[in-house]
Parts: sequence; C-alpha cells; structure tokens
Amino acid sequence: MSTAMNFGTKTFRPRPPDKGAFPLDHFGECKSFKETYMRCLKDNRFDNSRCRVESKEYLECRMDRQLMAKEPFEKLGFKDLMEEPAKENKAKF
Amino acid sequence: MDEHVSTLHSAFVTVNHTCLKGHFTSNSSIMLLPFLLRGCTAKHYVQQVLSGTRLCINCCNIKGLATSGGQLFLRRTPQRFLNQSRGAKTHKRKHQEDDWKKRNKTVLTYIAAAGVGMIGLSYAAVPLYRLYCQATGLGGTAVAGHNADQVETMKPVRERIIKVTFNADTHASIQWNFRPQQSEIYVVPGETALAFYKARNPTDKPVIGISTYNVVPFEAGQYFNKIQCFCFEEQRLNPHEEVDMPVFFYIDPEFDDDPRMARVDTITLSYTFFEAKEGQRLPLPGYS
Repeated sequence: MSTAMNFGTKTFRPRPPDKGAFPLDHFGECKSFKETYMRCLKDNRFDNSRCRVESKEYLECRMDRQLMAKEPFEKLGFKDLMEEPAKENKAKF
Repeated sequence: MDEHVSTLHSAFVTVNHTCLKGHFTSNSSIMLLPFLLRGCTAKHYVQQVLSGTRLCINCCNIKGLATSGGQLFLRRTPQRFLNQSRGAKTHKRKHQEDDWKKRNKTVLTYIAAAGVGMIGLSYAAVPLYRLYCQATGLGGTAVAGHNADQVETMKPVRERIIKVTFNADTHASIQWNFRPQQSEIYVVPGETALAFYKARNPTDKPVIGISTYNVVPFEAGQYFNKIQCFCFEEQRLNPHEEVDMPVFFYIDPEFDDDPRMARVDTITLSYTFFEAKEGQRLPLPGYS
C-alpha cells in the first residue's frame, strides 16, 4: 500500500506499544489461562466485556512468571474489576 | 561673367561629386565657394549653388559626417553654445547613471538576500515541519499529548460496540505458521481487550521474526492503542516450537466523539511477520 505514489494522502504510521513487547511464553506456562479465556470468548460469542476476568487472570499469570512487568491492574484498565472485590469486602463487614 | 558662371558651375559639380563619394574634401571645395562668390554678381546661380551645398551637407550629415563647415550653412546653434549645453547634459546624465548604479546595487543586494533566505528556509523547514506535525497530529504521527495515564481513568462507552477482526500475514521468506486464534472480538471504546495469535516454527532451525502491524480503516488507527503486544521486537522461535502471542489493546473513548468515525463499526488489525537478519536493526516507528 505504500508503493503507490500518493503524496497527498496521509500514510499509516504504526506506533510502538505503550509498554513494549510481551516476552514470548516459550514454555507455555500460561497456556491454561489462555485456553480458559478462549473458551469464554467462544461461549459468549466473542464479547470482550464478558471475559474480562479471564483476561485479567491471564495477565496475572504472566506477571507471576516474569513474562510481564508487574503493574497495578488499575493501570491496565481493570479498575472496575478491582473495585468489585473491595465492595464485596465492605458488604461483608 | 560667363567665366565666373562656368567656374561656379564646375564648383557645384565638384561639390556634388565629392558629396556622392562621401569625402571630407567637400569641406575644401565649400571653402572655395566664398572666394568665388566675391567676384560674382549672378544671384540666381549663387542661390542654386547654396541650395545644392545645403542638400549636400544634409546628405553628408545623414551619412554621419557632421562637418564644422556644414554648420555655417545650416541654421544651427553655433558650436560654442552646443558645447556648453552638451556639458550640462553630460553632467545630468552622469548623475542619472550614478543614481541607476546605486539603485541597481540595492536591488541586487535585496535579491541576493532573498536567495540566501530561501535556502535557509528550506533547511529550517525540516525541523519546523516535524514540530508542526507533532503539535497538530497531522499524518498520523504520535501526538505528544498521548499518555498512558488515560488507561486508568477512561470510562468505557457501552453504547458503541465495535467488531475487531484479526488478520495474520507472513512475508514470503519466513516459514512460520502464523495465524490469529480468534477471528473477531466485540469491544467497546475505553475497555481493554486481550487477543491471541499463534505462531509455529516448523523448520529445524531457530528463526527470528519481527513483526509490524496495520489498522484498517486508516483513521481508526489513531484511536487504536496497544498497551502491549509482540511487534517491533525480535521474537525467536526454536525448531518445532509453538507459542501464543497476546495483544493487549484498547480503543480510545474519543473514538465515539469523532464524527468521521460515526459509521465505522469494524476495525481490522493485521500483523505481518518478517524474518529478521542477524545484526539488522529496524528503526522504531515514528520519528526517532
């Protein structure tokens, strides 16, 4: 697509990811979490909003196995998931 | 009397001859005439000769031979007056020429300054354009104000559901089997999503690959933010190894506010893997 001599049009500029690249999971340590996530997606007709817990668990697995930089989940957009356990705890007490 | 007439006539003829030949000797012949005229009473002939000489002098002058003798016969201002007025004219002309020279010099300096200015401007245009692009976000360059804190504070826009389809490509030279693990995912702007690709190395040698991505439609690419993925870094696959490659991304909530995106319901994310040669460093996307 970049071979055409279209000077006027804007070209697509890929941007590097915010937090860099995932190291490869050579040993398949988080494969089970991935399978759970994929199954959830298939069951829910690929709706991401319903499988957020599974995706969070996958990322947790990666962080535990040094396959991802450890970060608070609020920074990864899971703030709503973090608030729920706190609410549950409050409700308990 | 007849002798005089005949001499006058011969003088007239000689004057004509010399005039035709264009010699200055007409001067001498004309000088002879007053001597001849003193002794003559034939007015008619005299007048004839005078008119003849006038014609002759005119034709001499036309040829460019302004003789001083001719001045006497033609009604012109005497020589000395001419010299004076010519002197005044040359003085004025010289002043004018000086003026012109000065004006020419100033004009030339202005033109030279403009030329140097243009060259300097063309050199300065490169960093200036870069700054302009970063400030306005033109051409899809990364806007300087794009920050990662947004992920924390963004609110998902539940009304807008977008289908993200996945595509995987490999360059001809790389022998990996590279494919997405899901064909599509339904996301909403402002919500982070996880997607998987799978890559397998069927060869007996370790292969290093490096990938880049593309987002279609182009304008939606501005809103497609990847938190973490597997692109732009060398990934090494051992022989007969298969790995899962995740992409963690989100679509900017401002996607919903953009009028150009009002009819966009599908975004396609396409990854392409290339083989990385040893010692080859690819430039980072954007301005580095």
